[in-house]
Formats: sequence, C-alpha cells, structure tokens
Amino acid sequence: MINLPILPILLPLVAAVLLMFLSKSVKAQRIVSVIASAATVLAAAVVLLKVKADGIQTIDMGSWPAPFGITLVSDMLSILLVLTASIITLCVVLYSFGSIGSGREAFYYYPIVQFLLVGVNGSFTTGDIFNLFVFFEIMLMSSYVLIVIGGTKVQLRESIKYVLVNVISSAIFVIAVGFLYSVTGSLNMAHISTRISEISAEPIITVLAILFLIVFGLKGGIFPLYFWLPGSYAAPPAPILALFGALLTKVGVYAILRTYTLFFYHDQPFTHDILALLALLTMVAGSIGALAYKDVKQILIYNIIIAVGVLLFGIAVMTEESIAGTIFYLVHDMIIKAGLFLLGGIMIYITGTSDLNKMGGLIRQYPALGWTFLIASFALVGIPPLSGFTGKLLIVRAGFETGEYVGAIVVLLSSLAVLYSVVNLFMDVFWKKPEIPLPETKKQTASLFIPAAVLVILSVLYGVGTEVVYPYVMQAVDTLIHPEIYIDAVLKE
Amino acid sequence: MSLLHWAVLAPFIMAVFVPVLRKKAALIHTGWFVLILPIVLFGTFLQYLPVTMNNNTVMQTAPWIPSLGIDFTVYMDGLSLLFALLITGIGALVVLYSIYYLSKTKESLHHFYVYLLMFMGAMLGVVLSDNVITLYMFWEFTSISSFLLIAYWYDRDRSRYGALKSMLVTVFGGLIMLGGFLVLSIMGNTFSIRELAARAPELNEHPLFLLAMILVLLGAFTKSAQFPFYIWLPDAMEAPTPVSAYLHSATMVKAGIYLVARFSPIFAFSGYWFWIVGAVGLFTMVWASFNAVKQTDLKSILAFSTVSQLGLIMSLLGIGAASLHFETLDDNIFTAAVIAAVFHLINHATFKGSLFMVVGIIDHETGTRDIRKLGGLMSFMPITFTLSVIGAFSMAGLPPFNGFLSKEMFFLSMVQLIELNLFNIETWAILFPVLAWVGSVFTFIYSMIIVFNVFTGKFQPEKIEKKPQEAPIGMLISPIVLASLVVVFGLFPNLLSYSLIQPAAAAIVPSIIPAGEQLDVHISFWHGITAELLMTIGVIAAGILLFKFMPKWGRVYDHFPGKVTLNQFYNSGLYAAERGSNAITNAYMTGFIRSYLVYIFTFFIAALGFTMWAKDAFRYDASAAAPIGLYEVCLIVVLLAATLTILMAKSRLTSIISLGAVGYTVSLFFVIFRAPDLALTQLVIETVSTALFLLCFYHLPKLSRHEEKRRFQAGNAIIAAGVGVIVTLLGISAHSSKFFPSINEYYVENTYEKAGGENMVNVILVDFRGFDTLFEISVLSVAALGIYGLIKLRLEKGGETNENE
Repeated sequence: MINLPILPILLPLVAAVLLMFLSKSVKAQRIVSVIASAATVLAAAVVLLKVKADGIQTIDMGSWPAPFGITLVSDMLSILLVLTASIITLCVVLYSFGSIGSGREAFYYYPIVQFLLVGVNGSFTTGDIFNLFVFFEIMLMSSYVLIVIGGTKVQLRESIKYVLVNVISSAIFVIAVGFLYSVTGSLNMAHISTRISEISAEPIITVLAILFLIVFGLKGGIFPLYFWLPGSYAAPPAPILALFGALLTKVGVYAILRTYTLFFYHDQPFTHDILALLALLTMVAGSIGALAYKDVKQILIYNIIIAVGVLLFGIAVMTEESIAGTIFYLVHDMIIKAGLFLLGGIMIYITGTSDLNKMGGLIRQYPALGWTFLIASFALVGIPPLSGFTGKLLIVRAGFETGEYVGAIVVLLSSLAVLYSVVNLFMDVFWKKPEIPLPETKKQTASLFIPAAVLVILSVLYGVGTEVVYPYVMQAVDTLIHPEIYIDAVLKE
Repeated sequence: MSLLHWAVLAPFIMAVFVPVLRKKAALIHTGWFVLILPIVLFGTFLQYLPVTMNNNTVMQTAPWIPSLGIDFTVYMDGLSLLFALLITGIGALVVLYSIYYLSKTKESLHHFYVYLLMFMGAMLGVVLSDNVITLYMFWEFTSISSFLLIAYWYDRDRSRYGALKSMLVTVFGGLIMLGGFLVLSIMGNTFSIRELAARAPELNEHPLFLLAMILVLLGAFTKSAQFPFYIWLPDAMEAPTPVSAYLHSATMVKAGIYLVARFSPIFAFSGYWFWIVGAVGLFTMVWASFNAVKQTDLKSILAFSTVSQLGLIMSLLGIGAASLHFETLDDNIFTAAVIAAVFHLINHATFKGSLFMVVGIIDHETGTRDIRKLGGLMSFMPITFTLSVIGAFSMAGLPPFNGFLSKEMFFLSMVQLIELNLFNIETWAILFPVLAWVGSVFTFIYSMIIVFNVFTGKFQPEKIEKKPQEAPIGMLISPIVLASLVVVFGLFPNLLSYSLIQPAAAAIVPSIIPAGEQLDVHISFWHGITAELLMTIGVIAAGILLFKFMPKWGRVYDHFPGKVTLNQFYNSGLYAAERGSNAITNAYMTGFIRSYLVYIFTFFIAALGFTMWAKDAFRYDASAAAPIGLYEVCLIVVLLAATLTILMAKSRLTSIISLGAVGYTVSLFFVIFRAPDLALTQLVIETVSTALFLLCFYHLPKLSRHEEKRRFQAGNAIIAAGVGVIVTLLGISAHSSKFFPSINEYYVENTYEKAGGENMVNVILVDFRGFDTLFEISVLSVAALGIYGLIKLRLEKGGETNENE
C-alpha cells in the first residue's frame, strides 16, 4: 500500500499550519502558498497517473482494516476533481496577490484558503460517510471565515445567513448519517453499499436517499434549497467568490453523484425521477435568476445554479453516457466558473462597480479581457469545440435516449438563457457607451488577468482535447456504473 | 488532414494573421491581403467540378473525438461544391467591394476582416462537414461571427440590439437543431449524414422520426429567416453593407436552405416534410414580399426581399421532396422543383448580391438609404442605375435575366401541384399557385420601387447630405461582375445545367436517380404559351398597375396594428422575461433568512413526508427498546420546559440559563444511559459555554426587540412542528430497521488488544477514527482564526470599501 492519495489533503494542511506562523510576512505567505498549491497540483497529477495505471488507490488510515477504520479512496472521479480543485486554487491564490488586499492577507487569508482546499480535496477523496461530514465541516468553517473576513457591512449581513443555513444543513447531515448507520451498521461507504444492495427493497433506504439529497442539495444549491446562495456568494470579493462558485457547490454535486451511484441506485423510478424533476426546476429557476439581474456578480452566480441543474439532470438520467457527460461537465464547470468569476472581478476592479447600468466601453482599453471573457462565455454556453460542449452533448443525448425529452430540451434551452445572460453582460460592459467616460489611464490588470486567462485557456484545451481526457472520464464512469469495482477495491474481497 | 480540411481551416488561420498585417502593413488596405484567400480557395474548389459533374463524391476524415464518433469529415458532392463556390466566389467579390467601402483610416479593419474570415471558414465548414456534430459547431460559428459583424459599430444601440437578436434567434435554432441531430444519432447510431441517409428507410419507421425532423427544421427555419423567425434579419441590416450582401443575403441565410437540401434524403420520404417545408416556405415568401413593399429603407426592402426569396427556395425544396415520397410518380415533375430551387439559389445570390452592393454605393455616395429622400439619381450615377435595373428586373422575374427563368420554373412547379392530386391536397392545392402568384406580384412592386423611386423622379438635394456622384471604379467592379452573371445565366442557362445544377440537385434527391444516370436538366426560354408564362404576364400587368397606384392602396398597411407584429412580440417577450424574472426573483429572494428557512423546511417536510407516505416507510419495532422509567419522563418534561422558555424568554439572561438547562438535562440523559464520560464532557461544555455567553452578553446593549411581546405565528409553528415530527418518525423507523450488526463489535473486541486502550470512546476518537479528530481540531483552529480576524479586521472603517483595494 502506498500513501499517495493522502498527499493532496496533507500538503495543504501542512501549508496551512505553516502559514499561520507566517502571518507577519505577507511575502513569505505568498511564496509558501504558491509553492504549496503547486505541489498539491503536482501530487494530484501523480495520483491521477497512478490511478490511471493501477486502478483505484486506497489507504486505510491507521492501518485499521476497512470497514472499521477510515479509508481514503482515490478513484478516477475523486482524483480528477481533486486535480481540478487544486489547479483552481493555485490560480485563485495567484490572482489574490493583486486583489485581496493587505488587510485580508495579514489576517490569515492564505491559510484559510489552504484549509478550504483540505476540506474540498478531503471530501472528494474520503471513503467514509462520517469522515465526509468532517471534511464538509472544515470546508464550511473555512468558507465561513472567508465570507466574513474583512468585516464589511454586506459581508456581516450575508455571512450570518450563510452560517445559519449551513449549520442547519450540517445538523441534518449528522442526523442522516446517524440514521444510515442505524440501518446499515456501518460508516464505510463501500461497506454501506454492499449492505444496502442486500436490503434494497426496504423503503427506509428510499427515504434516506431523499434525506441525503436534501443535505447535499443544500450545499449544491439545487431547487428549492438554493435561496441562501446568491446573496451570500455576492458578499465576498472576487477570488473568494471564485473559490465558492467553482468548488463548494460542486462538492455538493459530487456527493449526490457519489451517493446516488454507490448507495441509492435501487429505487431509481422514484429517487431519480425526483432528481430529474428538481434538476429541471433548478435549471428554470437559475435561468430566471440569470435574466433578472443587471449585475455582474448576480448573473454569474445564477449561472452556477443553472449548471447545477444540468449536472443533476445528468445524474438523474443515470446511464453510462449521462454519467460520462456529468463528469465532463462537472470538471468543465469548475474551471470555467472560476475563470469567469476572476474575469468578472477584473471588470469590477476596473469600473469600481458591478452594476451593468454603470459600466461600459471597456473594449477599447481592455480588448484582451473582453475577448477572453467572450470565449469563456461561449464555453459556458457549450459552443463546440469549447469545454462545455462534450458534457452537454452526452447528457442531452442520454436524455433523449431514455425518453426524457422535456429534460433534454430544457437543458438545451437553458443554454440559451446562459447565452443571453452572459452576452448581454459582455455587451453592456464592453461595447455599450459608458455614461461617464472612462479615465484615459489604463489600470494595471496583468497580474489579475493572467491567472484568469490560464483557466480559460485550460478550459479551451479541455474542450478541444476531449479525446485525450476521454479515457480518464470513462474510467471514472466505469467505477460509478459498476459499484462493485469500488467495493472490491476498498474491502479487498 | 486533406486539402479540403485545410481549405476549411485556411480562413481561420488567415484570421490569426490579419491583426499582424494591419499593424505591419498599415499603409496598404488590409482587404488586399485578405482578398487573396477566397480567390485561391475558389480556384481550389473549381478543381472538384469534374468530380461532382459525374455525380462522384470525395470524402476524407480527420479524427477529432473518435471515441464519441465525432470526426472532422469533409464530404464533397454537387451540393457542397455549389455552396463552396458561392461562399468563396461571392466572398472574393465582397472583400474587393469592402476595400473601397470601408475607410482604411477610420475603421478598425482588422476586426472586420477577422470576423469575415471566421465566417467564411465556418460557412465552408457547414457545407463540407459530413459529421453532424462538426456541422453544428461550424453552424454556431456562423451565428457568432454574424453577431460580431452586425455589432461591428458596437457603440450604436441599434447594432447591439440587432446583433443580440440575430444571435438569440439563430443560436436558439442551432441548439434545437443539435437536439434533432442527437435524436437522429440515437435512431441511426451514427453522426455521419451519409450513413444516416443510407438508413433513411428504417429511420422513417422510427417513433422518434417526427421529433427529429421538427427539431432539425427549426434550426433551418431560424437560420434561413423563415416565418415566424425572420424578425432578426431586418435588424441584422445594421451591419456594414458588404456584410449584409455576404452573410445576410448570399450565404449564411442560405445555410438553412442547405440544411433542408442536405437532409432531404433522410426526411423527405415523409409527407410532413412536404407540408411543413412547402407551406412555411410559401407563406414566408408571400408575407415577406408583402411587407417589403411598405419599407422605406432600401436595406430593409432588400432584407424582406431576401426573406421572401428564401421562402421561395424553401417551398421548392418542399415540393421537390414529393418525388421521394411517391416513387411511382413521374419523377421529372418533382425533380423539376428541386432543379428550380438550385437554379434560383444561384440566381438569387447573383442579383441580390449586386443589389446590396448597389444600395451600399447609394448609401456611400448620398449618405442615406431612405427612399423618401432619394430620387432622380439616374443622371448622377448611370452605371449604378444600370446595375440596379439588371438586379431588380431579374428579381422581379423579367426576361431576359436569370430570375425570369427560375421564376417560371417556380410557377410551373406550383401549377403542377394541382394536376397531381397528392396527399389529399385537392382543396388546398389551388392555394399554392395563387399564393405564389400573389407573392410574385409584390416582389415585382418592390423591385420597381428600388429602381424607380431612387433613380427616377425628382432629385431632392436638400434632403441628402452629400452631393451624389458615381462610385469609384473599385467599388463598381464587384456588382458589375455579379450583374454580368445575371445576364449571362439568363441568356445561357445551360452553362450551369450540368456543371452545377444537376450535381447539386442529384445530391438532394439521390435515391431516384438510377446508377450511372443523370437528372435531365435543360432550361429553355420558350415553352410555348403555357400556364407559367401567363402567370408571369399577369404578374407584370398587376404589378405595374399596383405600382402606379401605390399611394391609393398603400394605406392598407396602416391598418396593421403595430402592437401585434412579431417584432413587438420579441421585444415585449424579452422585456417581459427580464421584468418577469426580476419580479419573480425579488418575490422569493426576500433577503430574510427567515423566508429562506421557511422554503427549506417546507421542502424538507414535503419531500420526506411524501416519500415516507408513498413508500410506506414507517416502521415501529419496540422489541429492542428499553422501558421508559420515571426519571426519563421527568427529564423530558424539564427539557421541554427549558426549550419553551428559550423561545418565550424576554431577556437574554433567561434564555441563556434555559439553554444551559437544556444542556444539563441532556447530560443527565447520558448519566442514565450509563455513559458517564460523555456526561462529564457535556457538563464541562455546557458550563463553559454558558459562562462565556453570560460574559459576552453582559457587554451587549439591550435589544428593544426582546422587550416586545412576540406575535405567535401559526405558519412557523406548523413548520417547526412538522420538521420535528418528520425527524422523529424517521428516527423511529431507522431505529426499527436495524438489518445488520454494527461495526462497533470490532471496536469492542480490539480496543484493549490491538489499540492498547481501556476506554473505547477515547480509542475511537484518537485511534480508530483519529483521522476525524485531526480535522475536527483543524476546524476549531480555523474558527479561532476567523474570530480573531472578525474582531480585528474592519476594512470599511478606514473608508475603504473597494474590495480590490
């Protein structure tokens, strides 16, 4: 047994601890943050190749054999998401140098970001349902701090809502884990999976499925549980928003994907139909929200919700093709959302506002920013060959194939809402004549623009190079569609 | 990657170099460099003429995503070649024209040519792709480049409006079309059009056939501006005129026509295809020609005229489909419709292209396109006048121009519909030629308006900005070339018959051509006194009359209320979408956490309650439960009382103490349940937290709200109770459904032996599940950091509100 899969959790943890002691020197914090983030990316890449070559990697913590101890499981899905999350964190850290401000930097911004990554990577990697709760907690606690750090009025107002909703959802999470433990007598996810398949006809399992859907839906921002999200996400500055938008909701989606393929796949006519219905409503509600606002942050935030709906629909359809589409789309959405929020942050930095009515005319002075944003927008819409396309293609096709015509069409039309919202944003910010002429001097944005552009380029490559990514995704799909692969790897039967 | 692949990619590659050229060679108009490419490509494509003339095809594949069956496959047959030649041929002329139209110094030429080249490549991709997914990709590229070109003068509101509108409508169609492609791929298990066509008979039997057809047609209709989707095209006229001539008349809008033609071998067996394509096309033709007459802007007239002509071609393709549906029929009659469609497609590109360029010249030289301001320009601009006569008369269907020939063939196809009683068409059949005739009359009228209202009549110098003069020769070359083609094709139509028309038509209706044979395409001027000739004479007579008496009957247009137009529908629809969604969102996004919790908990109750009810999931099994003793009852009473006190308390002190009471009662439960260590822990925590609360709250001011008597809210009470009930029921059910031995047996056995500890809870915390504990500690340190930062850091205090500092 090798300890590789723990590295993407351990590195940021060590870095976070180290950074706590460096709070006096912003420069040292920056250096350590970048090195740690880059090392995490590297470690994740190594694990990815290892998983590709040798299949699922597991570690039994403390060498207590599964299912009695805590087991970390890096299957392809986990490690793909870990890698994506680590890359995004690296870019956000780089972006933060120029934007987060010395106040936040001195008050533990960097260690908290590393802690957040610990929580995110841990959630993706753990194979233990209670341990998942613990990683959720560390992720949430970090996000509480990030949302409130700086203490501006809007942050204080929104953070109390954010904390309250998430504390409640954590309570429900504990309740859900407790009930599941009562029924199955185990916390190890592979073990739970085998036990559930023995009693799959029991109605309590279906009820628990819905309970877990509520728990993770609150995190993921699905209809009708997302109401807290837009206000809270809009409060913190752009880099934090990028982390939230790209990572936090996706952890919720990941958890639904994992539990609905590993635990709750026995009563699909019930559970997955409800999931499909919620997915459609989520897309519609997100689209409505995206059209409702004339504000950079709000438009992008509601686009998160639309994407969650698309992903959820892919899970609900639950064929090999749709799951492949979901994974393609999940990785895409993490990258492109981070990129878009960072780009949006630059626009806000330049104009000093996020109100579209007050913006305009940026294209003359900032053409690169404008065109990058437009490309990112088209990627978000899912125009081929950009990154959103493959996922949507597979999800829609699977939807048609299983007779979910309405859902498939709604996914397609949601793209239109996405297009309208982001192109409108683009035209208002870049093309429209500004009410107040822009100052002649150009603001320096290179240090902000480069990390954002890297993400957009990555997204473009991800789309064009679908063929390269394809075998990785299919390996991930294989584990999800055939839970016994996962179970065998963990329990080594 | 073959030559054809590079031909598609070349414009994109060229586009990359355009900004460099603009910078490095600023003295030379960038257009001259760009011009080379379409000429070279045109020459390249001409070499395929001998191949397609014998109904042969070329197909080459470059892998892109082979795992998903998505490849960049180019397929060259008569239809593709015809479009490729149009795209590059007209493209070259338009680039040449634009060199004189767009000022080297005033305009940002590199943008213009980058977009234009992107469009050219995308359009070539559309017509040469065999894989529906790459076709879709290029299709969306055309929409995007069209968006960018329409918004070329982006600080004008109208430009942005038109650009957004065209993009929304065409991308909507594109997305729906993608849906159709995916359905097709499910039916035929391939993304290749050629392979799908080979399976056409079995696809026809498939239950999804109609769905796929309608979805694909929506794509075609939006792109080719058919009723009711045409509304974007008139607004697209905000683009520079070369763009209008190229995209919005000669090429991009014909992508829908191409799509219908390309998919005819798959769909045309169906009677629905005939009806939908034929009827929509014909109605569009009449509707748009009727509307064209009332326009006052020359470009608007041409826009509506384009819509109308596209409808005409569309209807011909629909009728031509009947030849596939009825294999017993005399094929010639219906292939005639297809041949007419192809022929008119070429003719329309020539005369409409030249007319757009003429209008561009008028605009350029006089500063206006408003026919109410123009008049008597004939003496100032004789060449332009001649060109407009040729173009407009051809459009009106007058001999000896090419439009006359294809219009005659159009009438013939319509008339023949009556003679053949198809699809139980008897009663409706007469409508086809009648509508076709009416539409042609209006076409005649607006064609005359273009010529006579602008060039004859009274010259009104006071209304126009510039003194009109003939355009420079460079600007005239392109329309002259096109106008010459109008005349040449009119006089010698058979130049095209077997070189371009036959191969293209054969690609649309391949299945009715016996192997090794060709369709009979012979176009001639004189057929004797036939129905179609009489119809043409009727069009001219009625057209002249109506044109003369235009002021008398033109008022009919005033009776169309402005509020019920499709445009109004689009605008108010979009406005309503924004306003409505804003209203909806504001209605539920109250900003109050209370509302959000109400939504969340209501859903919690409803979803879980419904599931438990639907699945009959409630279980009650008390066999493993201990009896409830007096102590427990007492404690529960205390617990409830303390909890209620918190809710009712009017001062902080009372509620904190009650909270402490709740905690202590829970600890007592632990004592009773024989968990002394837990009880101890709980007691310590309760004591510390209560003390801390007291300490903190001592420093807080009194809140007036706490003094008020709080209203009892029934809704909240029901929700609160509901959550409690659901969790309780679920808890009882979960407790009563213990199907497996718990893993805790393992801990019992191994705590002492393997872990070397005596207290099992402690060993679980620090050893078995020590990993959890590690991160719980981290959670606490994060919280500590957060609180420290919260207390110390107040960014707003220094007046600094900019988040980016």
